[in-house]
Amino acid sequence: MPGTLNCPLIDRHIGRKERCGLENNIIEMLHITKEFPGIVANDDITLTIRKGEIHALLGENGAGKSTLMSVLFGLYNPEQGEIRMNGQAVNISNPNDATALGIGMVHQHFKLVECFTVLENIILGVEPAKAGFLRIEEARAKVMSLSEKYGLQIDPDARIEDISVGMQQRTEILKMLYRDNDVLIFDEPTAVLTPQEITELMEIIRSFAAEGKSILFISHKLNEIMAVADRCTVLRKGKCVGTVDVKAVTPEELSRMMVGRDVQLKVEKSKAHPGGVILDVQKLSVPSKTHKGKRSVKDVSFKVHSGEIVCIAGIDGNGQTELISALTGLERASAGSIGLCGNDITRASIRRRSKLGMSHIPEDRHKHGLVLDFSLADNMVLQRYWQPEFERGGFIRRAKIREYSDELIKKYDVRSGEGSDSIVRSMSGGNQQKAIVAREMDREHSLLVAVQPTRGLDVGAIEYIHNCIVRERDGGAAVLLISFELDEVMNLADRILVMHGGEIVGELDPERTNVREVGLYMAGSKRDDSAETEAMA
Amino acid sequence: MNSNDRGVKKLLLGILPSLAAIAIGLIFGFIVMLAAAPANALSGFGTVLTRGFTRMADVLFYATPIIMTGLSVGFAYRMGLFNIGASGQYTMGMFCAMYAAFMLPMPRPINWIVCCLAAIAGGALWGAIPGIFKALLNINEVITSIMFNYIGMYIVDELVRNNAVMYVAVKARTNYIPENVQLPSIGGGGSSLNIGTIIAIVLAVLLFIVLFKTTFGYELRATGFNKFAAKYAGMNSRRNIILTMIIAGALAGLGGALYILSPSSIQGASMTYEPINVIAEEGFNGIAVALLGCSHPIGIVFSAIFVSFIQRGGTAAVAYKPEIIDVMIAFIIYFSAFAMFVRELVLGKRRRKRAGNAKPEGNITADEIDAPMIELDIDKEE
Amino acid sequence: MYADGGIYPEEIRRIIKMKKLLAVLLAALMLVPFAFACTGTTFDIALITDKGNIDDKSFNQGAWEGVKAYADAHKISNKYYKPEDANDDAYLAAIELAVDSGAKIVVCPGYLFEPAVFTAQTKYPNVKFIILDGTPHNPDYTEFNTAKNTASVMYAEEQSGYLAGYAAVMDGYRKLGFMGGMAVPAVQAFGYGYLQGIEAAAAELKLAEGDIQVKYHYTGDFAETDGNKATAAAMYQSGVEIIFACGGSVGKSVMAAAAEANGKVIGVDVDQRYDSDTVVTSATKGLAASVQAVLKSIYETKDFESTYGGKTTYFNAANEGVGLPTSVIGDAKGDAFDRFNTFDKAAYDAVFAQLVSGEIAPIRTFSIENAEGHATEAELTSNLKLTITKIECIR
Repeated sequence: MPGTLNCPLIDRHIGRKERCGLENNIIEMLHITKEFPGIVANDDITLTIRKGEIHALLGENGAGKSTLMSVLFGLYNPEQGEIRMNGQAVNISNPNDATALGIGMVHQHFKLVECFTVLENIILGVEPAKAGFLRIEEARAKVMSLSEKYGLQIDPDARIEDISVGMQQRTEILKMLYRDNDVLIFDEPTAVLTPQEITELMEIIRSFAAEGKSILFISHKLNEIMAVADRCTVLRKGKCVGTVDVKAVTPEELSRMMVGRDVQLKVEKSKAHPGGVILDVQKLSVPSKTHKGKRSVKDVSFKVHSGEIVCIAGIDGNGQTELISALTGLERASAGSIGLCGNDITRASIRRRSKLGMSHIPEDRHKHGLVLDFSLADNMVLQRYWQPEFERGGFIRRAKIREYSDELIKKYDVRSGEGSDSIVRSMSGGNQQKAIVAREMDREHSLLVAVQPTRGLDVGAIEYIHNCIVRERDGGAAVLLISFELDEVMNLADRILVMHGGEIVGELDPERTNVREVGLYMAGSKRDDSAETEAMA
Repeated sequence: MNSNDRGVKKLLLGILPSLAAIAIGLIFGFIVMLAAAPANALSGFGTVLTRGFTRMADVLFYATPIIMTGLSVGFAYRMGLFNIGASGQYTMGMFCAMYAAFMLPMPRPINWIVCCLAAIAGGALWGAIPGIFKALLNINEVITSIMFNYIGMYIVDELVRNNAVMYVAVKARTNYIPENVQLPSIGGGGSSLNIGTIIAIVLAVLLFIVLFKTTFGYELRATGFNKFAAKYAGMNSRRNIILTMIIAGALAGLGGALYILSPSSIQGASMTYEPINVIAEEGFNGIAVALLGCSHPIGIVFSAIFVSFIQRGGTAAVAYKPEIIDVMIAFIIYFSAFAMFVRELVLGKRRRKRAGNAKPEGNITADEIDAPMIELDIDKEE
Repeated sequence: MYADGGIYPEEIRRIIKMKKLLAVLLAALMLVPFAFACTGTTFDIALITDKGNIDDKSFNQGAWEGVKAYADAHKISNKYYKPEDANDDAYLAAIELAVDSGAKIVVCPGYLFEPAVFTAQTKYPNVKFIILDGTPHNPDYTEFNTAKNTASVMYAEEQSGYLAGYAAVMDGYRKLGFMGGMAVPAVQAFGYGYLQGIEAAAAELKLAEGDIQVKYHYTGDFAETDGNKATAAAMYQSGVEIIFACGGSVGKSVMAAAAEANGKVIGVDVDQRYDSDTVVTSATKGLAASVQAVLKSIYETKDFESTYGGKTTYFNAANEGVGLPTSVIGDAKGDAFDRFNTFDKAAYDAVFAQLVSGEIAPIRTFSIENAEGHATEAELTSNLKLTITKIECIR
């Protein structure tokens, strides 16, 4: 495998481009059809990428983007169609072929070896060796020069398990550069980044394009595509809707292409009419799990009233998760108190919080929100199976559960293959989330705690869930929303609390602030000392 | 497709992986026989596969204890607990049954019922302790239950050896259990088959009902599939862990009683126990049985009968040395226990297919396709 | 793993898929043997093992060596069977399997087979049974019956014990110990013979009264326990030089204690020199020889019915039924007496000849007051006519 490092193939291919003369297309995927049992994931899709362009691939979750990229990267073999590189038909039957052709990919879920260092991960598979001995210094020099050239900050000797998600992504990018790849595929690269990191990444991608590398950028976020891409191919339901010049279209047009209908990008909501205090958090502290003796949440106080949506904004890892764990009972607070509708629930069991009217859309739907191997019906009563409605003499009342589940499925438009009988694992992420939303909203409750309720969902589903949340508020419930997406925060919140370093550093009115100001609070460079007192009011 | 058809299809899909695993196991068993003595392999293998039919009473009799330990392991596994301690619980239960049989004279049929209850209590206690350690102190039940295999076995052996009524030192084994305490026979002459087999099967059905029809079973399976979701849903995992281990221990303990209280085919004799400081193998066979039966109570009944069937057939393959047969049987059982793995493969594929059906628009993402495969390897610990 | 450093599930699945295809093919192949099921291979002589295996260095092994030696020499098919479980039912089932597989003779080593053989001998009147060290009886000992197709083989343990005791004293040991298991007839006989042999050697050496001291003890079990090891250790501590460990696994405890205290051990039943370097010699039973003798009466002299059938036969020195080991397994030139200081094969042959001729006839049993069979010092001294040997019974 060391041979791939200095593979002359690539240069030869590039050299041939003048002869082909087809608009400098470096990659042409022609009439690709990939079927899975029962469905056609890619139906006659044609995608061409020019040398030195940033080409976006847009589509909702499940539109076939990842499948198409897996075909290009040799993970799947298509039933029909061919792939050409510089006009020459190539056969890519596994990732080794793709690498040899200079195609590199940063996967949505990184493929790094956790216990290896950054440097080791970068050279993994193409280790420079002489007589069987690793020549690590040679590799280090090359990696460091690449790192400097593109401003990809890394610590080559840190272990993957110890570094931030952003640095992990930079490691993945360096892996591609180290292999002298000329076609770089980024699969949803911004999903895991902070706003600042996203901006940096966009810069880096632009510099790649300026160097002549070709970029394929997979995303479902319109603003990113508008900001960085030259052209954009839109997929919908496995079919290619079209390829457009990004400068010539509006975000609204793109979103219509993607969803197939008009989408409201802005949530319609009236002014809030806050009522009585539902959630009352006083001086709450939560110990840190990773750093013994430290606190992840430090003396946080705030209130949420009925009929309002309070958003906690902040970069991931600033204590939001721990705060919610303590509020919902998944973890114990070390100090302070939590009141729910006048009851002290600081040390109450999860079941009691649930009985007192707390609904919770958890951050991780697979870990906490669902029993993936249960049927949809069983998941719909996850907190309620013991209630007299569904239980008699210790026995589960299947018929009643089914009836209820069918009702929810209808009401919330949860789609699945076998309705209530579907195993939840077999459902799409969006519908899984819808099932959770249905369950939590349909339960009798006075407080809805929603953590990243739209994470990983497509535009249609996001729109739906946002409307549900607003309806909740208008129905008189108190809503506490945690989101890492600033757009969502700005869109939904009646009040914004910004968390940084385990503290609430500011309270903002979305009507009177902007993304830039919230960003400054999030980054910790601005701090409102009176925030705490204001929040308590 | 009507619901009946779907039921049949579901059943077939549930069984197929186990059958495939058995086939793989048998192939390896056959290879062992081929390697040991090629000339006899065909006839010997035929004996292994057919002789059990002529000894069905014995097959069922020997299946009974491993049905019970299999249920014990499988039931706990449904909750996500790996009960390696079935062996110790089995021995404990057996001892309690013997103690009641020898030391507490009672009229029939109260006596054997009391013996069984004593065994249930003994096994339950031995299951409860690792359960309590797990629930309250978060000590891995695998470690505690392994230790309790030894602790239980040594305690029982010591107690037996020091009890002049129970122990026959000259023969280094326990005395014959009085005939009127033995379980009612149902096999007729020449076999030890007794009511214990029926009890075991009835219990399997009962467990099936508990698992799939009750709220307790719902909580238990939810916890087994995803303990984080169970916690999120407000289920009391501590209570459930202890309760599950008590039930698992009770099942294994009763298995010990059903064995030791079995009537003998020799007039005046009975089953005996040798306190020779060896852990009861029934507990470990129970693990294989539970795996092969995919931890489904009814599946466990069939897999236990299969394991017993192969063992009886193997004994009859006289063209081979007993050791070769032991190796072969171990291979068959070992590979058969891969049923879970094969099941994941087959179901993983099917799930992908379903994922497709789930969205009539016809979309699928690579992420979803990979989901079952990835999920399989992840066993998150807190 | 690929050149880009990633590991992909799809690839893993592809491999598994291929393996599955292979499995299905093999499964189809597998159905073939059904056609060949149950073709008859039969074995004339069968041995049923009890708890241990045929390499247990004890009854199973001794008896199996006899079966193997005779059957191979006369080209008779033979096989050993392992019961599925260690209880009477399983023993009986193993006998039935052996008979089903064509056994004409079934050898059962050990008294654990007594109830199983009791049932089997009437069920299969045309099959001959050889039970070693036991007599068939029903489970509750209310009925004893050695049918005419059954040979019950017992051993003159007192002669074996005599040889051991004689050899030890002749070799220079003066403080000796005896650790029997339970005071059952066989163990008692070993012990009594041991004491008589000691006395005889002492007399021959013209030792004075009290020159020989013997500590005599029944452990009450046949198990390897810490208690037994402590008892043995205490004996060595008090100056005992050699202990006759006569009770199954009690021997392991004694050998362990001997290894720590630098003491010596006399083994029992079979040559136990291979278990521990502390074992000087062993008071053995001629398991292999007795099995071969009975087999000979069946196949060659054809007088089984009149010689062994239907009764209990005691094997003794005269028919090689007892003795000390005279050869080392696996070493034709090995000296089985190499662990003695001075006692050798010649001295052994001389005393053995006296037993064969009947010149010496050790007492096997006498009546004892104690219900458990534990004789007192006085009972031992008077019944065994000990003068030089001074006995101390340890409870």
